[in-house]
Amino acid sequence: MMKVMNLRKSYGQGEAKVEVLKGINLEIIKGETLALIGKSGSGKSTLLSLLAGLDKADTGEIFVQGHKISSMSERELTHFRAHHMGIVFQQFHLVSTLTALENVLLPLELLKREGAIETARNLLESVGLSHRSHHLPSELSGGESQRVAIARAVAIKPAILFADEPSGNLDEDTGDRVMELLFKMVADTGTTLVLVTHDQDLAKKCSRIIHLEHGSLL
Amino acid sequence: MKFKFFFVKEMKKFPFFFLLLAFTLLLGTMGLVGISIVTGQVQEKLKNNANELLTSDIAVSARRELFPAEQEALARIFAPYPHQHYKIIDIYSMITHLREKATRLVEIRATEEQFPFYGKMTLRSDKFENENLYVSKDLADLWQVKENDDLQIGELVMKVKGVVEDDSSMGLRGFSLAPRIYLPLSKLLQTGLIKPGATGSFAHHYKLKDYTQDKIQNIKSSIYREIKDSAVKITLPEDSSEQTGRVINTLTNFMALSALIGLILSLVGVFYLYQSHLLARLKDLCLLNLHGLTKREIVTGIIAQFSFIFFVVMLTELALIVPLYKILAPLLSNNLGIELNGEVHILSALTEIPFLFGLSLFILVPLLLGLMRTPMGLQLKASKLSMGRFRFWDFLPFIFSLWLFSCYLSHSFRTGNLFFGSLLLVFLLSTLVVRGGQLLLRKMISGKGLLLPTIENGIALRGLTRSGHKLTLSFLSLAMGATLISLILQLDRMILKEFALDPKKPSLFIFDIQEEQMEPLTQHAKEIGAPLAYVTPMIRARLEKVNDKKYVKKKRSYDFRSKEEDEDQRFRSNSLNITYRNFLTDSEKIISGLPFPPGGAPDDRLPFISLEKRWSERMDLSIGDKLTFDIQGVEFEGIVHNIREVKWTTFYPNFFVTVEPSMIEAAPKTFLAVLPSGPKDTKLMFQRSSVEKFPNISFIDVEELVGKLSGLFIKARQAIEVISWLSLAVGLVILYGLSHDQVYRRYYDLALMKSLGFSATRLRLNLLYEFGALFLSAMSLGLFLGWLMAQVVGKEVFKLSLSVDWGRILYPAGLLTVLCLVTILASSWRAVRARPRELLSDS
Repeated sequence: MMKVMNLRKSYGQGEAKVEVLKGINLEIIKGETLALIGKSGSGKSTLLSLLAGLDKADTGEIFVQGHKISSMSERELTHFRAHHMGIVFQQFHLVSTLTALENVLLPLELLKREGAIETARNLLESVGLSHRSHHLPSELSGGESQRVAIARAVAIKPAILFADEPSGNLDEDTGDRVMELLFKMVADTGTTLVLVTHDQDLAKKCSRIIHLEHGSLL
Repeated sequence: MKFKFFFVKEMKKFPFFFLLLAFTLLLGTMGLVGISIVTGQVQEKLKNNANELLTSDIAVSARRELFPAEQEALARIFAPYPHQHYKIIDIYSMITHLREKATRLVEIRATEEQFPFYGKMTLRSDKFENENLYVSKDLADLWQVKENDDLQIGELVMKVKGVVEDDSSMGLRGFSLAPRIYLPLSKLLQTGLIKPGATGSFAHHYKLKDYTQDKIQNIKSSIYREIKDSAVKITLPEDSSEQTGRVINTLTNFMALSALIGLILSLVGVFYLYQSHLLARLKDLCLLNLHGLTKREIVTGIIAQFSFIFFVVMLTELALIVPLYKILAPLLSNNLGIELNGEVHILSALTEIPFLFGLSLFILVPLLLGLMRTPMGLQLKASKLSMGRFRFWDFLPFIFSLWLFSCYLSHSFRTGNLFFGSLLLVFLLSTLVVRGGQLLLRKMISGKGLLLPTIENGIALRGLTRSGHKLTLSFLSLAMGATLISLILQLDRMILKEFALDPKKPSLFIFDIQEEQMEPLTQHAKEIGAPLAYVTPMIRARLEKVNDKKYVKKKRSYDFRSKEEDEDQRFRSNSLNITYRNFLTDSEKIISGLPFPPGGAPDDRLPFISLEKRWSERMDLSIGDKLTFDIQGVEFEGIVHNIREVKWTTFYPNFFVTVEPSMIEAAPKTFLAVLPSGPKDTKLMFQRSSVEKFPNISFIDVEELVGKLSGLFIKARQAIEVISWLSLAVGLVILYGLSHDQVYRRYYDLALMKSLGFSATRLRLNLLYEFGALFLSAMSLGLFLGWLMAQVVGKEVFKLSLSVDWGRILYPAGLLTVLCLVTILASSWRAVRARPRELLSDS
């Protein structure tokens, strides 16, 4: 499903240059849930950004479902992401001027999917927020916002879902409930999950854990 | 900790914000200070010209010689102020050119030593000396008067010493009814023309050694207190002639308004910038609060920080303004057609600073009070930080000080109130429109998906309906900006239109034509190919009664009088020239009542009277009033039938009072006529030959007069245009700041949408739709309201007639739209290029 070969990424120039990823090789199987753990600054989010096509690697190759995304243009990447990937952020990141329902509707209508409104409603119901569908992000709690973000991320039934510390901004109970929901939705749809976390307990819920330290996989 | 945080850390961490804030303040205040300096200089220059017209700092005059008691009162009033004094008597009289054996009407100006205090008398040769007889250029040309020719003036024969090429006091006198001659006052007394009961202008002119406006106002008030007779008129340089006074008033008010517009726009920018900054910094401020800094200390820190920035800006401004003005002064002089002094008096520039500081600080009051109301402890737990809400009364200190400043800058409560009231109205209307619009859009999109019909549009519409007070504020700022810009351009156009002179203006104004001369003169004009136009009878009359009660002039107040009251006094004269005719000229329009019926007044009713609008207002006369005039001892009665508006700048024979043809035709009268523009040779030939045939007839060269007036109008117009563009520039920079800030706030939304699969083009389209709709609606509303305000301000303040100039609406609309759209694209560039990677947790 996803294959990463000799991925390198550095920031800065000259003496200030920091090599964040030092030749990562990785293979992710379809339907797998993969936890990417490591300390702050280990390169977890950088790797996630490259895998999700949010950033470009210096060298190396990334293949997703046979498509070499590492050589795609930004336009092609944007298009690919819209069709095949979902992302859940730590800060929720809902579009501030759209309601909960509209946030879920956004990726569906972007792809002009049939029955988008019905799908979005069902998704909101499945995350237990049908009663909050017309509320703006500013009117939702952190847990509710993250549940909307998850519904949005899975709306297009992506082949692969990336989650960046999804419970990092939530209290423990809410975080647990949100993660439960995430794993359930992934399991229900058979979506591949790449989860970035520093929480060992959370990582253990995934089918595979990989450790990243100083830009290399252990 | 506080000092370090607010003055070192903050400024180091947010250099862009502080630079932008400083730049916004600099532009707004520099605009105002700059405009104040230019205005001051222009006014100074115009005032000097006005001084030249009056020839002194103040004149006290009457149509009779001042009584001894009045002269004593004047001596008493002026005694405490070191001054110089002379007397001028102006009378009209027939004089005879002995060599040519021709007689004609002239204006005799009798002067004393030291005349003129201001301005100069330029002779064709030699130097003006008060003990000699001089003739004006037009009289010399018409009559071929040469040096040493003898002129008989009353009982005195004097030799002409020279020809006055230019008399700076003549500049804007309007219709000086006859060519002027100059002779010493002592000689005038020998002519025998000044007899008891003789009428003319008897003026006492004064020049103060240490002139100040305050002293003049004190003197003016004292004269009003001591000399109760309203026939005694006080003339200051600024009202030395009606036209000059009007130009100066118009210019002063307009410049003050322009300056205020620049300031308001920049303050909107300051408010907006600080609001964004405080929201962005709220978390850190809450942390400071958590660590022991009270809210009061935080607010004090922000005030200190702002004050520091403000005074740095002021210092920079003063450091920049002096060399800048020195460089710009010659350029401005060229553009304004007024020679400006390159010297800037720092102290005069400094007078504005406390006002500016106060106003700038007051605009921050709602933000600071909002901060005080913010539950800081709770903020740290909230998922999204928000500041305490503003309340209406938070803005009251700013609103009140803005009102005061409006009045201060326009030097008139009426102008200040009107301007401020209009601004409030624009504010309320804009709020109503934006809220109403949002409600309507919300209904339109309710229950619908995002495809309306495109997703970019759907998101844009949601942005417009849900951005809350930020959008309202942006809309208001834009609408206000557009309103003010439109106001400037519309007013400018209205003033230009008012001052524009008819291209078909008359070439010669001919008067004093006796009844029996009308036919031969008309025939003579036809023969030489210069047919006369607008032949109009002129009858000297005096308004005696209104509705059978003796007409009593309103008593004047003897203390402070505003500009408006002074104008009132000028107009309220009951001796005037009237005419009779049954038609309207091109320059007249009936605004209430009906035209005179054809055929003249029948014997069974009183003749109808038509009054000029402003004169009727000043004299408190209205339709249906019965007026009784004294025409050379004979009473004439009539009924006011209609009110007319007259465009005086056409220079056609127009009158305050026009009577329906009736028995008034039998009254003693002379005639006026105009010679329409044509070849110069024909005009000269007509003039010369007419003088020979009809020596009593007088001519005024309207072309020359109009040329002088046009010159002044063009100068005024150019000054107004320069100031309009300065304010426009300030407005546009602020608009740029606003739009940049709005787009910048969306950075994370845009990055998120990109991560969801929106291409850069689609994001740009989304921004264009949303902000384009916001800009266009705010702009359209603003331009319309600006036009509306211009009509109100123009009519109420500048006495201009209503007009619609589509060019002046569409041109700024087009320009501002293009500029705003370019601004959106330019400011969205960085946001659209943003990498969604920044949304990740470690970014």
